[in-house]
Amino acid sequence: MPPRPNARVLRDIKARKGVADNEISRRAYLYVARNQSLPAQVRYQAQLQLNTFGRYTRPTTVKNRCTETGRGRGVMGEFGLCRFQFRMKALAGELPGVQKASW
Amino acid sequence: MASVAPSRIAALTRLRSIIFQTSYNPTSQRTGAKYLKRRLRGPSMIEYYPNELSISALNKNFRGLDLVDEYEEKRLQDVADKKKRGKGAPKKAKSAADSRRAQRKR
Repeated sequence: MPPRPNARVLRDIKARKGVADNEISRRAYLYVARNQSLPAQVRYQAQLQLNTFGRYTRPTTVKNRCTETGRGRGVMGEFGLCRFQFRMKALAGELPGVQKASW
Repeated sequence: MASVAPSRIAALTRLRSIIFQTSYNPTSQRTGAKYLKRRLRGPSMIEYYPNELSISALNKNFRGLDLVDEYEEKRLQDVADKKKRGKGAPKKAKSAADSRRAQRKR
C-alpha cells in the first residue's frame, strides 16, 4: 500500500475539485462584475453572487504539494516532489534526465 | 509640421479597428473579456495528484468484494480501545451553552 494522503492533501484535492466544478459559473460572474459597460446594479449583484461561492472554489486556495509526502514547502513544480523526495528519486534514477552534478 | 485635429485621429483609429477587426475601445474601458478568454485551469488542476487505488473506493465501486482494510481496522480498534479506557473523544455539545469552550475560564 502507498502511504495515505494526509489531511492537507485531501483538503487540496477537495479544493481542486471545487475549482474545476465551479470555474465556468465563477468566470461568468467575474465577467459581469468586472465589465464597466454594464449597469452598476447588475455588476453589484454579480459581485454578491461571487461572494456566495465557498472557500474551496477559488483557484488561489489550491497549492501544489508533494505528490509523495504531501509536504507544502520546497516543492519542485516540474516534478511535483519536495526537495528531499526529489533527491531520493533522482539518486535512485527514477527521474529521467536528472543526474547529480559533478565537475 | 501641421497639427492634426483630435477628432481626425479618433476617426482614424476607429477606421483602423474596423479594417483590422480589433475592438474599438478609446477610453480603455474594462470589458471583463479576459475572464472569458483565459483558459480553464480546473481540468489540469484535477490531474495534479496521481490516482491511487484505495480499498474503500474499491469496496464502494464493486459491491460484494468486501476487501479488508487492515490499516483502517487497526485504527478503529485503537479508537475503541482508547474509548474503553476513558480516553476517547469528548461528547459533542448539543448547544453552544454546554460546549467546553463556553466553560473555559478567561
